[in-house]
Amino acid sequence: MKQNETLRTPNTQGRFKVGDRVQVRDMPNMFYTRTQNYVRGVTGTIAACTYKDLIPEDEAFNYDGRLEQYYIVRFRQKDLWGEYPFGNDTLQTEFPDHWLEPVSN
Amino acid sequence: MSTAYKHSHAGDGHDHKAAPMVEEITDYEVLEIAVRELAIEHGLFTAEDHRKFTEWAESIGPAAGSRLVAKAWTDPAFKARLLEDGTKACKEIGVDWAEPTGSGTPSDYTNFRVLEDTPTLHHVIVCTLCSCYPRPLLGMSPEWYRSTNYRRRLVRWPREVLAEFGLILPPEVEIRIEDSNQKCRFMVFPVRPEGTENWTEEQLAAIVTRDCMIGVALPRPGRTADVHPVHEARRPVHSAPLHGKAAE
Amino acid sequence: MSVRSDVDPGRIALLEIIRREGKEWDVIAPRYGVTNPDPPWKTSLVAMCDCLAVSGALPTLERRSAEDELAKSVYSRVSAPESQLLALVHTMLSRGLVTEGDLASRMRTVRSRLEAA
Repeated sequence: MKQNETLRTPNTQGRFKVGDRVQVRDMPNMFYTRTQNYVRGVTGTIAACTYKDLIPEDEAFNYDGRLEQYYIVRFRQKDLWGEYPFGNDTLQTEFPDHWLEPVSN
Repeated sequence: MSTAYKHSHAGDGHDHKAAPMVEEITDYEVLEIAVRELAIEHGLFTAEDHRKFTEWAESIGPAAGSRLVAKAWTDPAFKARLLEDGTKACKEIGVDWAEPTGSGTPSDYTNFRVLEDTPTLHHVIVCTLCSCYPRPLLGMSPEWYRSTNYRRRLVRWPREVLAEFGLILPPEVEIRIEDSNQKCRFMVFPVRPEGTENWTEEQLAAIVTRDCMIGVALPRPGRTADVHPVHEARRPVHSAPLHGKAAE
Repeated sequence: MSVRSDVDPGRIALLEIIRREGKEWDVIAPRYGVTNPDPPWKTSLVAMCDCLAVSGALPTLERRSAEDELAKSVYSRVSAPESQLLALVHTMLSRGLVTEGDLASRMRTVRSRLEAA
């Protein structure tokens, strides 16, 4: 697969669907990650399923192989930051499947 | 000998007059050439690839994004296609996210999505990790967008940052920040403002400025240019990176 | 900001000479009445960054991480895009992709060529 291509057709079954509640894992950084510090351990909602692609850690080392579903997850700003004054505000960002854990509603 | 001035952005809405030249060769100009030549000689990349990417960088600008929004405002079927598959809809206005390599650039990819505003939902885009930006539609990113000041503060204090741009929204309006940290690229699709009934696509495109498509401004009749800076940042970030919730 | 940068933050003599001259575009362009907001070499710089990422010589996240670190330390008072150029070269030197000696020598050659044209 070329460097910039992502797969649109299903290959690996993702665990989540739109509306599911998920928590961002807090895994140690193996040097290269795109999961921000400020979302670690926070619970949000799947807003969209985007594409399937290599996980960034594998791609950085040119491993052939593991494909995963990516998702946009939506968080309440109040859940991301202490004392955030506006109850309606949200933030969305994107994760591969293995960075998320299911949370019961 | 002088440095030739090149006004290279296509269709950004400004008149392209002949401009005077900078009559000196700076070390910055010399440094850029020197490091590029050495990089090519060391095989870090090819001259051909560099030429291709330079031409591409010179071809992009925010006019494409403005056209996209104006078309979607006036053509509901196109708007539906745009919301369904952003990358594919871009081709209808002549933007191919696969350029210039056939599979996109190393930081733009081919997964474009618009973020549709409503009267009670306002989006704003950022990339906290490295300032990813929808370049095929908006051109090169502005320097303020690349700054750590914007990237760190927007996610933490969005309303303060927007206020510095002159945009204040009531608390009932949901502000939704999109941190584009992976391969999706985003652009804000603003609400069409009142007072634009019966406008042509061209008239509409003229008020959809780059800042409106990033989300730090709202389109408005009569507003055809972005103005910076608006207000001084009250809490510019100078130091430590964010570490979880305790930061700032 | 989720990637640790391994760039050496120590000052590099050749780049310090350039920095201290202060000839950033936003300083010199107004002197000539030039209103273009960017210097003519900016698109070439952007292309160079894209090429380095495509070839794998310097991936985007690592380059930007180093740039963030250098922008708050060594090049904190330098305007953009000059700070981006300095940070890029600094990172390339730090990784041994080019050497300071070769760069200094090539700069002399390039300048002679431009001035003779």
